[in-house]
Amino acid sequence: MSNEVWVVADLKIDGSVRQVTYEALSEAGQKIAGKLGGKLCGVLIGSGVSGHAASLGKYGAEKVYVIDNDILKDFNTEGFTIALSELIKKHEPAVVIGGNTVFGQDYFPRVAARVGAGVTMDAIDIDLSDQNTLKIQRYSHSSKAIPTQVFHQNYPMMTTVRPNSFKAVENPKDPEVVDGGVEINPADIKTRVIELETKESDRPELTEAERVIAGGRGLGSEENFKHVYELADILGAAAGATRAAVDAGYCPYDMQVGQTGKAVSPNLYVAIAISGSVQHFAGMGSSKVIVAINKDPEAPIFQKCDYGIVGDLFDVLPPFTAKVRSLVSEG
Amino acid sequence: MKILVLVSQTQDTEAKIHVSSSGDSIDTGGMKWIMNPYDEFAVEEAIQTKEKHGGEVVIISIGPDRVLETIRQALAMGADSAVHIKGDGFAETDSFTVGKVIGGEIKKLGEFDIIFTGMKIIDEESGQVGVQVAEELGIPHVSLVSKVIEVDPAGKKAVCQKEIDGGHVTVEVPLPCLITCPDAMNEPRYASLPGIMKAKKKPLTVVEAGDINLGELGLSAEALGKDGARVKTTQMKVPEIERKLTIIKGSDEPMVKGEEVERSAEELIKLLREEAKVI
Ligand SMILES: Cc1cc2nc3c(=O)[nH]c(=O)nc-3n(C[C@H](O)[C@H](O)[C@H](O)COP(=O)(O)OP(=O)(O)OC[C@H]3O[C@@H](n4cnc5c(N)ncnc54)[C@H](O)[C@@H]3O)c2cc1C
Ligand SMILES: Nc1ncnc2c1ncn2[C@@H]1O[C@H](COP(=O)(O)O)[C@@H](O)[C@H]1O
Repeated sequence: MSNEVWVVADLKIDGSVRQVTYEALSEAGQKIAGKLGGKLCGVLIGSGVSGHAASLGKYGAEKVYVIDNDILKDFNTEGFTIALSELIKKHEPAVVIGGNTVFGQDYFPRVAARVGAGVTMDAIDIDLSDQNTLKIQRYSHSSKAIPTQVFHQNYPMMTTVRPNSFKAVENPKDPEVVDGGVEINPADIKTRVIELETKESDRPELTEAERVIAGGRGLGSEENFKHVYELADILGAAAGATRAAVDAGYCPYDMQVGQTGKAVSPNLYVAIAISGSVQHFAGMGSSKVIVAINKDPEAPIFQKCDYGIVGDLFDVLPPFTAKVRSLVSEG
Repeated sequence: MKILVLVSQTQDTEAKIHVSSSGDSIDTGGMKWIMNPYDEFAVEEAIQTKEKHGGEVVIISIGPDRVLETIRQALAMGADSAVHIKGDGFAETDSFTVGKVIGGEIKKLGEFDIIFTGMKIIDEESGQVGVQVAEELGIPHVSLVSKVIEVDPAGKKAVCQKEIDGGHVTVEVPLPCLITCPDAMNEPRYASLPGIMKAKKKPLTVVEAGDINLGELGLSAEALGKDGARVKTTQMKVPEIERKLTIIKGSDEPMVKGEEVERSAEELIKLLREEAKVI
């Protein structure tokens, strides 16, 4: 067993490194690696990923393990599981951290089962316990409770972390790059991606955004969602939605905020024609300032927001957006 | 086809939550227990698969006596039989062990084609058990499936759609496999009255926790209790975020109307700039 603390890079489908990776490196560097007296290491798994080693170094990685294999293109669940499990067995790290994204959620529990590790998901705080084991906090009970969870001395200790929970702080290192040396037998890859459809967006990603403008069923149509996008673009915000809006086909699924969808905690969350269900709040209830525009004074959201206007969105939003626009253009 | 569904019972998190006096858990006294909502999607998907291809749906659930009610609900929706792995200590058992125990019982059921599970349980929100059962069984999984496009029992494969950031992927997976279900993949049916009557007569196998051969699963004797857990909850907090609740209303009726609209928009912007300092 080594004292190494690993952060597995979470990559976007275009191959770039997701911000949560740098956040995790920074936090693990300060809170865990130092105290444990172990090296902070990055792990790169994917196809054509070796080039990212330097950027992991920028956020404190002293060593970077690389498993670069064509088989791992477009996130392949079995390939990633084999790669990380074998690497863990070979080098026996103390702690392994990843991002709680659709990918992290998919293969971290499986790797943990394979190597016999304890694992927690979606941590919002990571630290060491008095026994020098991993100690995390996360949300449970539809985000109405925050358990503190402590690991047994059963190595490795694994967790995913929620994006936008920690600050990424540069701490430049010139990392030693180590070839992971893990072979992946193509016959072990059983699930195949047969089609991949992605659309580029100019808006910031929901989980990383400082501001989020979200629309609900009350928008009434896909066409009307332009009101949401317009305000979002003026404020440099991400655009979100409720499940009811997604279900109705007003916007794509990746805009869904909530228990099933994305968890966000921006400085500003503007909820337009959103009733404020428990499941929606499970994804945005920790936002710093919540603003609601809703025509129903009895909507639950008015009991759980900071500012609100009781009014028809089609009346209120145009003058509001116009005024925000002129404010922003004034600087 | 033989279709399995992992069904869990959960605390109804719509309710108000209180920390228990021990400070490390949620007080479940007087709490309503329901079928985990994501598992309803799993049961529905299983029944639809059976309706298309024939076969049987088997429910598997771990927990104390009370989970029988949830098992009955799944049977009333249209599942054919159930296995209840019964014991009181499972609430503190880690997901790794739950996955192994469920996997062990599944192996005893003989061959199967597909397993559906929920994406996570809404009280603990661990989101691990499904995938860990797949690992224990050595079968592939597809997580967070937004749509099962095709199940092809003859060709021994399934095709699923899965949402990713900025789009979606279509994945082909050989059977047997395990699929985890998020919300909105289908419309779970209600249990009908005849369904509820019939459920009482459907075959139910009870496995006592004490009879499980832990050694055979590679587990230690303490694995089922709190002391054997890889991860322990040591403290539980209920976050109280104070909200300002500054709501701008109309003067005659609740909704702002006419020229109030302009004024309320201005007022909101002022608050956001000067008080909240967010724009
Ligand atoms: C297992 C499970 C998981 C779920 N996960 C999620 C999740 O991740 N995210 C999520 O969002 N939901 C989720 N839900 C669904 C959730 O329960 C609610 O149904 C959903 O959040 C409601 O969305 P909504 O507020 O847009 O719609 P509604 O509840 O229908 O509210 C629409 C609101 O718009 C207002 N309105 C209408 N017209 C206007 C107008 N012209 N001007 C101003 N206001 C107007 C209405 O007054 C109303 O308050 C989940 C449900 C389940 C069972
Ligand atoms: N006690 C249980 N009995 C049966 N299935 C379970 C149990 N716990 C979890 N599961 C299944 O695993 C899924 C994920 O649960 P979890 O990992 O606990 O969040 C659930 O939606 C169920 O399908």
